[in-house]
Amino acid sequence: MEDTNEEVVCPECGGRLRETSTETICEECGLVLAEDAIDHGPEWRSFDDDDTDRRRTGAPLTRSRHDRGLSTEIGYGSQTRLTGRKRRQIARMRREHNRARISSKADSNQVYGFTEIGRIVTRLSLPMDTKDQACTLFKSAQSEGLLQGRSLEGFAAASIYATCRTLSLARTIDEIVDVARADEDELKVAYDALNRDLGLPTGPIDPTEYLARYASKLDLDTAVERRAREYVSRLLEAGLISGRNPSGVAAACLYAAACECDGDTLTQTDAANVAGVAAVTIRSTVTDLREIA
Amino acid sequence: MATEMNRSKRRDISREYFSKERLAEHHYRSFNAFLNRGMQEVVDEKATIDTDIGDKEGEEPVHVELGDVRVVTPRVREADGSEELLYPQEARLRNITYSAPVFMEMSIVKGEEGDQRVVDSTETKIGRMPIMVGSEKCNIAGFSEEELIEIGEDPADPGGYFIVNGSERVLMTSEDLAPNKILAEYDTKYGDEIQVAKTFSQRRGYRALVLCERTRDGLLEVSFPSVSGSINFVTLVRALGLESDEEIVHKVSNDPEVVKYMLENLEEAKVQTEEEAIEALGKRVASGQGKNYQLKRANYVIDRYLLPHLHEDGVPEEDVRINKAHYLCRMAEACFELALGRRESDDKDHYANKRLKVSGDLMKDLFRTALNKLARDVKYQLERANMRNRTLSVNTVVRSDVLTERLEHPIATGNWVGGRSGVSQLVDRTDFMGVLSHLRRLRSPLSRSQPHFEARDLHATQWGRICPSETPEGPNCGLVKNFAQAMELSQNVEDEQELKRELASMGVQGIPGIEGVNRTTADD
Repeated sequence: MEDTNEEVVCPECGGRLRETSTETICEECGLVLAEDAIDHGPEWRSFDDDDTDRRRTGAPLTRSRHDRGLSTEIGYGSQTRLTGRKRRQIARMRREHNRARISSKADSNQVYGFTEIGRIVTRLSLPMDTKDQACTLFKSAQSEGLLQGRSLEGFAAASIYATCRTLSLARTIDEIVDVARADEDELKVAYDALNRDLGLPTGPIDPTEYLARYASKLDLDTAVERRAREYVSRLLEAGLISGRNPSGVAAACLYAAACECDGDTLTQTDAANVAGVAAVTIRSTVTDLREIA
Repeated sequence: MATEMNRSKRRDISREYFSKERLAEHHYRSFNAFLNRGMQEVVDEKATIDTDIGDKEGEEPVHVELGDVRVVTPRVREADGSEELLYPQEARLRNITYSAPVFMEMSIVKGEEGDQRVVDSTETKIGRMPIMVGSEKCNIAGFSEEELIEIGEDPADPGGYFIVNGSERVLMTSEDLAPNKILAEYDTKYGDEIQVAKTFSQRRGYRALVLCERTRDGLLEVSFPSVSGSINFVTLVRALGLESDEEIVHKVSNDPEVVKYMLENLEEAKVQTEEEAIEALGKRVASGQGKNYQLKRANYVIDRYLLPHLHEDGVPEEDVRINKAHYLCRMAEACFELALGRRESDDKDHYANKRLKVSGDLMKDLFRTALNKLARDVKYQLERANMRNRTLSVNTVVRSDVLTERLEHPIATGNWVGGRSGVSQLVDRTDFMGVLSHLRRLRSPLSRSQPHFEARDLHATQWGRICPSETPEGPNCGLVKNFAQAMELSQNVEDEQELKRELASMGVQGIPGIEGVNRTTADD
């Protein structure tokens, strides 16, 4: 792949290659370079149920379901509707079948945890891979036995928070608690347990992660956001970031940048509210910024 | 000279009809009506979500009340969490959905009747609604030509379609038989010709076919959903509160020949009073059950499945029943008149007997099922949260992807609720004319594998409404049509009560019997 020339000439004689539907051959010496390639095109075979159901496989595997989306379902059929005894019988079978999908208490906890994770992920409009990753984290927490004596809701919320941290998607604890069924204590307890026992690869949060989101919430220009980014790196160089709330730092830099670019349109309180910090935090960071400038 | 003037004026009008705003106007007018009142109507129909909490001893019942629903304009939430306005071209290029967040006021209410208190009341995001390009809620609404070019939009584009996962989808206008109308026609049963009066009674997305047949021995029979087979006309009318022979005959017709037919029916009648009639109906709808249950079921069936379109908000059940009896009498009259040759059978292909379902109507159907699905999920989440002793709050019981998926998936695939498929189609961008034609296309739901010669024929009433020449060749010939250039699509009225008052003020008189009913209840 690195050298595109290798793709188009024969390694033996340097002749031109020709691709047919089944193999890649050299036009000069006839060397077969590749054969039996996977045909990604549509199927050409026909099946009895082609008209009613053209699917040949189920949905892809997913980690965000307790059974990985593998279990079967008793469907409703498409053509004729059952009546009377037969229908009641099928309905009973369907119900029992659904019950049998969850075999243990651990499974049912997992289902509950996963639905809660799914709900929070959609509420926060996080990307879908966050959901898969959070579910995997929840599952490993469960198999490590971390859930004992702690709340499921807390772990669901903490898995999302931890995933956001590892994926560098800045979400504050407050934001997650707002939409989660867990309260802040439950989340923190669960997150500490995850962090301690699973060794999460989380470092300190980079304040720049917050900038884009806060800028859009505060209705600021991209120019302001760029300015703020500069301020953050300046603070970083001066070593003034450690020990401060990264969310507060981001808001303070935006505030300082807004003051410079637009004048006094943004108040410290607004900036502080968006970041979930006190106005004092903003003020002290801004003072630091002015000192190093 | 005069003709010269007329020609230039005609040309002006013609040009006006060809302007950008007019070509897909029916689509966004319908969709705007859906956004402005259709959505709220659907929510008001639903009104509450009941839960099973409180079934256990010592537990307080909980239900959710639904309030105002609100849609903003399309926006996109990026992975970094920032939210920005979304323009159609960006949605197309990034393969995302052009949709806007929907908010709804919800309150969780706890406690028995009379001692209820609101636990939590918030306006919460319930999902995302795909927005039609060019509609009121579209971000490019009201943009000038320069502004449109600035954001990469084609100023000549007519709009009227949705963008789901980057592909442009237009909802096919479908041509259905008019609901809530009596259509009389001939039919054959066991080799004999019989007369049938049909009504597709429709209310709030529920559709029930009511048939009134005059069998070969001259007896009238009615059939409607939930009752297998058919029921004697006189029995049903008596069950609805029209008791005496004289009244029934009088309500059907004063024509001596029809009266003769009616008397034959009355002679055959097996029940004489309202109670007897309801008992007889009960035996039909719940045979083999207890007497009390039979009566309950009979009353339920009458109020729920028989001619549902006659129900109106704020009209008491007894009045509705009498209205239903009168309506059945009209159907009977139609059967008799057909039998006597006083009228011809109704023409199903007459355009007065057709109604068009445009984007807004289709989206309303979709939103109704999506909201029901959401309600079921909220119920489940509430019960779950309650079981785990969590404090119940609106924010933690709504999963917004439930509604979103139910709205987006049908538009993306064309598989609509009620088993219809091919409702949404990829906008034909072969050329500009293709787009215009596609947006103004309409489809008959009749099967294309059957001949249906009459339905495919050009009907005289299509004059000025449907293009006489634009239709595909082959199996779809005559079933897929296109609007004429100067076609105007009228919408149904917002407030039916107001329409009735208006009609009354213009001198329209009601059926005497109904007025009498109203007067007596008013005097009491």
